Amino acid sequence: MTQPPDMDIQPARRSFWRNLSPVWLVPVLAVAVSLGIAWRSFNDRGVLVEITFQNAAGISPGETAVRLRDVPIGHVERVAFSPDLSEVIVFTRIDRTVAEVIPPDASFWVVRPEVSARGITGLTTVLSGVYIEASFLPGTDDSARRFTGLETAPLVAPGREGTRITLRAPDGNRLTPGAPVLYRGIQVGHIERPRLMDGLDGIVVDAFIEAPHDQRLTTATRFWDTSGFSVSLGPSGVRLSVGNLASLLTGGITFDTITSGGAPVAADMVFELYTDENAAREGAAIGAAVNALRVSAEFDGSVQGLNAGAQVRYRGVRVGEVTSISPRVTIINDTPSVRMQVSLALDPAAMGLADDAGPAELEQVLSGLVAEGLRAQLAPASFFRTSLVIELVERPEAPPATLMQPENGVPVIPSLPSDIPDLTATAQGMLGRINSLPIEDLLTQAISLMATAETLIGSDETRAAPGAVVALMDEARKLIGSADTQALPGDIRSAVAGLSGVLEALNEQKAVDRLVAALTAAEEAAGSVSTSVEDFPAIAEELRAVVQKADALEIEGLIASANKVLDSADRFINADGTQSLPPALTGALGEIEAALAELRAGGVVPNINSTLASASTAAEAVAEATKDLPQLAARLDRLVDQAEALVGAYGARSPVNEEILSALREARATARAFSQLARALERNPNSLLFGR
Amino acid sequence: MAHAGTTQPVLTARGAGLRGCRTCGKANPAEAAQCLRCGSALLPEPGLQAVWAWLFAGMVVYIPANVYPMLRTLTMGRMQDSTIVGGAVELARHGSWGVALIVILASVVIPVAKFGIIAYLALAVRNRWPMRGNSRHHLYEIVEFVGRWSMIDVFVVAILSALVKFSLVATIAPGIAAVSFALSVIFTMLAAQSFDPRLIWRSTDSKTA
Repeated sequence: MTQPPDMDIQPARRSFWRNLSPVWLVPVLAVAVSLGIAWRSFNDRGVLVEITFQNAAGISPGETAVRLRDVPIGHVERVAFSPDLSEVIVFTRIDRTVAEVIPPDASFWVVRPEVSARGITGLTTVLSGVYIEASFLPGTDDSARRFTGLETAPLVAPGREGTRITLRAPDGNRLTPGAPVLYRGIQVGHIERPRLMDGLDGIVVDAFIEAPHDQRLTTATRFWDTSGFSVSLGPSGVRLSVGNLASLLTGGITFDTITSGGAPVAADMVFELYTDENAAREGAAIGAAVNALRVSAEFDGSVQGLNAGAQVRYRGVRVGEVTSISPRVTIINDTPSVRMQVSLALDPAAMGLADDAGPAELEQVLSGLVAEGLRAQLAPASFFRTSLVIELVERPEAPPATLMQPENGVPVIPSLPSDIPDLTATAQGMLGRINSLPIEDLLTQAISLMATAETLIGSDETRAAPGAVVALMDEARKLIGSADTQALPGDIRSAVAGLSGVLEALNEQKAVDRLVAALTAAEEAAGSVSTSVEDFPAIAEELRAVVQKADALEIEGLIASANKVLDSADRFINADGTQSLPPALTGALGEIEAALAELRAGGVVPNINSTLASASTAAEAVAEATKDLPQLAARLDRLVDQAEALVGAYGARSPVNEEILSALREARATARAFSQLARALERNPNSLLFGR
Repeated sequence: MAHAGTTQPVLTARGAGLRGCRTCGKANPAEAAQCLRCGSALLPEPGLQAVWAWLFAGMVVYIPANVYPMLRTLTMGRMQDSTIVGGAVELARHGSWGVALIVILASVVIPVAKFGIIAYLALAVRNRWPMRGNSRHHLYEIVEFVGRWSMIDVFVVAILSALVKFSLVATIAPGIAAVSFALSVIFTMLAAQSFDPRLIWRSTDSKTA
């Protein structure tokens, strides 16, 4: 075993530092890290910022965050009272980097859940609790460490580009904070809380119009309220205008630049808020315009119906408005008299001057016009309205006057007495006349006429009538024009003539009395049935029977009887007593004898025979014709009635009607002829036989 | 067993002026810087430096572990930071006395006790305070055993952070204190480990010798 060489063994010489173990680095590091953490947390602790609130509802120390644009920038460290317990001071720790740029005008408010007509805001705070929202533009002045918190969120976040204006309204009924300001239906801004004006009627409300829409604002811009909906009844009917839903609930304001030539607005300019669009468009804010010319006019009579804001018209065009009305005492000839002084504001642009023309130019023009006869006069706003406007009328014939320039005051336009009462009287008279017209009677008649016409036209009969009438006419015409009918009177006449000829011949010849008696029986028979037209056929029948009887009366028998008569006459004549008869009688008998001889000799008897036969045919024809006569007459009557009614209903004299009328006249004439014939026959049936 | 029941001075390597090589086991002369056989560097005697260093580090990081929030709880949008003691107090206030006790025990009592025991042991060794070696060894073993359980808090935080991630409703995130506490526990364990129990006996030996 070899001994290892002796080694130089040296004791470990170690200094204190050398003796130090590297393990010590660990605690050194730990200390360093701990110190680092401590420093960092101290550094991160932020800057203490005090915010004063009226109350600290929902704020809890250590939890409630402070946010800027919804990014936490700190938290509430402590909540304490102000020394007099009137307010709450919330101590917050704000990040150092942020705190360095908080300007003194920074605003803080507590965000709480809020439910309103415009929607729900701050919903997340329901779960997470409230937080404090900060809003500011970074500034260099970081000395501010005490702030007063707002009760509600500001409507305009700082740094929003836009223009802030002020609106003036009679009341704030329909204006809620945050209500939208619309331009053609697009929201371009919103309003803030309305507030009362100091010492004045009405309210003012600030509105903020966001950029770039604020460029649409000019001095000629008009604002009106579009809250809710409005219904207006005018000559053009009912008009309903409804804004958008949000403005329906919360109220809204719309603006538009109605006239051109407005100048760009400066911040905090005051605009008038009109109640609706019409008011805004009609009632231009001339009174508020800067370049309006203020004049006045004085009137003697009552100015009832004239209000501030009423129009001033020149040749029918609106050139200004009435700004105020006030009585004014003037002393004329030591007698005080009160005249109504009406202040007017005239728009130079509306009078035709350049857009940039001012009151001075207009005054110059106006004085020229007044010298040529321009006068102010009260006039009704419209025909049926009682409100008045001021009309600037041109009356060159009026007594000369000038635009008066009082010492202290506005120029006065000379006025004319108004002619409103005359106009009213005229209108009243006209209305009275209209009133006295028998319109109601007329209407009643017209209504009944209408009703009749309606019924007539509506009835099926009327519709069928023209056709029926035509058919009837045709029928009637056919009947009247038929050869039979035409021939009928002729036949009758010829028959009667024939008969009368025969009878006359018989009469003249003083023929057989028996024949006369037979004929008389026939006459009686005819007379017994001659009471009515309807009985005419019976008459004819009997006549026929008579004729037949006459026919059947054998001529031989007749002659025989005549012979018998003659024989008996002969015997009578030849009898002794008869011999003493006057010779006249004898002559007569002789004549009879001669007649009978003549009869016997023929000629007369066949003549009578044929005559009677022809009379029989004639009577038959008459009978046949007259069988239809009553119906025909009735029909004609009906036709005439119908046609008359029809024509009466139609009324107008059209060619068709003319034709119908002539046809009717013809028909009526025919009917009359028939009825005359019938009446004649009725009255004196013998006339048929005797032709008288 | 003539020596039974008596405490005989035992000849140790140190007493013989020798130092063992940890690589090959050769007993080298105490003065040697390197092993005479294998050439490995002979480590110097295990001192108390490392113990003190680790202990100090552990105590340093234990401060932020208690000052800073351990848990960052976000419930219903409401953020709440809770420190170790604050959390235990909160638990106790809600009636969870048992859990609160465990938390206090594991997070406060045990680490503090460990610091104290290790410091006591180290001081006792250096100043050769009179105490029975057995008792000290027991203490040392307790420290060693308990050390791992001190991490219970860190485990709880780690598990909760991993599990409770419900966005707005409930979210738990570990705070700086969790890291500090873990470091503190680790440092303490290292301190306990770097403590050479032979020193306990050496001190008693040398005192009795």
